[in-house]
Amino acid sequence: MSHPKTPHVVDARYMQPPEPFVQTLEMLDTLQPGEKMLLLLFREPHPLYRVLRQNGHAFESELQPDGTFEILISR
Amino acid sequence: MQPLLSLDNAPPLAAPWRFFLTAPLFLVLAGLLLAVSGPGVFSSRWLPPTLALVHLLTVGFMLQVMIGALIQALQVVVGVNLRWPLPLAWGVHIALNAGVLLLAAGFLTAAPLPFRAAAALLALGVGGFLLAAAVAVLPLPSTSPTIRGIKLSLAGLAGVAGLGVTLALGLAHGWALPYPQLTDLHAAWGLAAWGGILLAAMAYVVVPMFQLTPGYPARPSWWYPPLLLGLVLLWSLAVALDQLSLARLAQGGLALAGLAFAGVTLRLQRQRRRARVDATSRYWPTGLGAALAALAMLLAAALWPVLAEHPAWTPLFAILLLVGAFIPFIVGMLCKIVPFLAWMHLQRQMQPGQPAPNMNRLLPDLAAQRQMRAWLLALALLLGAALWPQWLTRPAGVMLAVAGGWLEWNLLGAAWRYRLQAAEKP
Repeated sequence: MSHPKTPHVVDARYMQPPEPFVQTLEMLDTLQPGEKMLLLLFREPHPLYRVLRQNGHAFESELQPDGTFEILISR
Repeated sequence: MQPLLSLDNAPPLAAPWRFFLTAPLFLVLAGLLLAVSGPGVFSSRWLPPTLALVHLLTVGFMLQVMIGALIQALQVVVGVNLRWPLPLAWGVHIALNAGVLLLAAGFLTAAPLPFRAAAALLALGVGGFLLAAAVAVLPLPSTSPTIRGIKLSLAGLAGVAGLGVTLALGLAHGWALPYPQLTDLHAAWGLAAWGGILLAAMAYVVVPMFQLTPGYPARPSWWYPPLLLGLVLLWSLAVALDQLSLARLAQGGLALAGLAFAGVTLRLQRQRRRARVDATSRYWPTGLGAALAALAMLLAAALWPVLAEHPAWTPLFAILLLVGAFIPFIVGMLCKIVPFLAWMHLQRQMQPGQPAPNMNRLLPDLAAQRQMRAWLLALALLLGAALWPQWLTRPAGVMLAVAGGWLEWNLLGAAWRYRLQAAEKP
């Protein structure tokens, strides 16, 4: 799946925890420095945010009209 | 990269569990009180056992679980922990439990001392929790409807507790207050501004997460919590100005808003992608059905107040909203998060390579299903008792106590199995 913001996308909207968390970290490991990935979820993943901060990843989240949070994460 | 979900920040298990394990005992107490008091309970909402019963359910069970759940869940749903969770939970738990028992004693004996002690303890317990929650949550930016909802629900809790303490002190000291209007307002702050907003804020996260439904649409989700709080404030203004029609307008608005929320949630649940049905997903549709019926009654009473004069109207409304809707949502959540928390903490204690504990073995689904059948029977008997109190009040009380006791048994079983598995770890 691709997205205008980045070709690297994890659409975790219908995944059970902890799959979104695991798949996001797995995709981050495959990215090159400077690349970004997008996580799609129907909630803000605060436990993931904490790990991202601890590991020095910048991220920004945007709520879409259908209730999807688009979370853009930098490698 | 830190590979695993870090749980080091999660509050200790004992913090929420003390609330979860004592709360069902208040369902048992409420059931026994109903069985002992008999059919008179349904003849007026102002009778001492009726008032005691309502507070055993709302404060003893509902508020207790909601506070325990928030102490645990804030880290996941808004990303912060409360400070000193164990001492906070210990103090709030004692104050809340002693406070609600004294409040029930106050209603039943009409003695001033229990009312005064209950008011002091409940103010201390709820105030302590509110202070800790406000310090943690209010500085956060409202980046999601959930964070905004939780912030506003704290205002709701402050409102219901403030009015409740005022009413209890008023009864203790014989103050001349407009008790009927203030009691309705107290209920509106409790059930709409606190319970309703908190329920929505949590539903925005847990319904899509656990039941794999689409998300709640963003714009209505942002505006639902402030709309409920605004309508309760309008109701408060109406009471202050003694404007009955304005109060009815607020009541009708709250009913419509609640109906819309329940309708949207039902629509989302029809699109769920989770095939396996569990305790939570069984409780939600039943709870939403009862909520729709109760809110339709609230709307009807706002439009035609004469309806509420029927003797069965108020008991039916209260049973549908409390025992039919709020309590099942809470029980469904308990059946999900108690084994989940136990599993999460066991997982943390495991050595690498050890098999993960089985979550379903901690609180078997069959046990939750049987408890739910007991609750459904209690609900049916209670609704019947509102119509035929002479015949069904005592059986309904006994069945409510059985359903509450069954829940306690299931939760204690989960706690026991957790301890056994934790003791087995190398």
